[in-house]
Amino acid sequence: MADEQQAAITETAPLAEAGKASKWLAENGFDHEFLGLDASGVETVRVDRDFLIPICTALYAYGFNYMQCQGGYDSGPGQDLVSFYHLVKLADDADRPEEIRVKVFLPRENPTVPSVYWIWKAADWQERESYDMYGIMYEGHPNLKRILMPEDWVGYPLRKDYISPDFYELQDAY
Amino acid sequence: MVLNSNSTTRSPILAQGEQMLNPIERPQVTQDLSENVILTTVDDLYNWARLSSLWPMLYGTACCFIEFAALIGSRFDFDRFGLVPRSTPRQADLIITAGTITMKMAPALVRLYEQMPDPKYVIAMGACTITGGMFSVDSPSAVRGVDKLIPVDVYLPGCPPRPEAIIDAIIKLRKKISNDSIQERGNLRQVHRYYSTTHTMQTVDPILDGKYLATGTREAAPKELVEAMGMPVPPALLTSGQKEEVNRG
Repeated sequence: MADEQQAAITETAPLAEAGKASKWLAENGFDHEFLGLDASGVETVRVDRDFLIPICTALYAYGFNYMQCQGGYDSGPGQDLVSFYHLVKLADDADRPEEIRVKVFLPRENPTVPSVYWIWKAADWQERESYDMYGIMYEGHPNLKRILMPEDWVGYPLRKDYISPDFYELQDAY
Repeated sequence: MVLNSNSTTRSPILAQGEQMLNPIERPQVTQDLSENVILTTVDDLYNWARLSSLWPMLYGTACCFIEFAALIGSRFDFDRFGLVPRSTPRQADLIITAGTITMKMAPALVRLYEQMPDPKYVIAMGACTITGGMFSVDSPSAVRGVDKLIPVDVYLPGCPPRPEAIIDAIIKLRKKISNDSIQERGNLRQVHRYYSTTHTMQTVDPILDGKYLATGTREAAPKELVEAMGMPVPPALLTSGQKEEVNRG
């Protein structure tokens, strides 16, 4: 696994060199894919959902003690739903602390992913919102209920293929 | 009139039978009368009393309430219009819907409006409560115009409106109240005046039962997840990883 990962990294090396945390994950045999740097220059890593919990546990032990943001997005009609995690190494007097973005791509038919609530408690409401808006099921979350939409709402409004119901209250005012 | 009174209060300057033209004192009787008698109608008196003490309900759901809160403060000071903010709908005459109304907030708004005593007035403040505002494009949950839920007396445009604009809306509402008539009070009684459609939704039990913090499910992870988290960790991490496992219970 590590050899394959090294090979993958050397293949992508001319495009973008893997970040520090990605190299560390590869050295320790955690299967992932380096996705390059985002607009802020933070390394982005794609992780299979089966390995999300081990990799997140390892990243927590590596020093990423703070989950800055968790959210989701829809890649497009018929494409994958994505659950992402922004991790930061938080410390006293931190100056540009190390960051990493972890992304999990989930098939639209079965968007289940293990919850990272038991690693970072900050994921509680964030995962509830991702569930509310995209229907991503976070397995192991203690209280996975709708947080913003009405509790009897049908559908997940931020999916690209969502069609708004034709309620009288939602029709145009004129 | 006291002018042609040939009584004992005659000035010593005037001769017998002489009358004074243009006396320096004002006639007393008519002045007292005009200062103490008001001619008005019951309608005007009643309306004047009502429009001078419009008590608004403290109701704000979004950024419009920031402007409304500025109106409460000393710079704009809406107490001079007799507006005393009330925190309960039972004591309020006026509700200013300051902010976006969502589908989730709509039942609460209708319920608050129905709890207000008659006569009651509504000012739809801001673009969101008039047409849905910027949320009217593709929002899945913003109600397009609060007049789909409750009857609106004054529409106050702006995003958000300045406090002066709210004062203007209140003055317009005062003019509207001053035109009311007691004879028409039967027509003013609000018997289900708002539009409502019958949704074919089914009521469900509330999912937020307030017991979440007491359940303890958020304290300890389920067994399957603990086993999943105990997946093999590289030897370099074993000590620290193990410590984390223990801490998380």
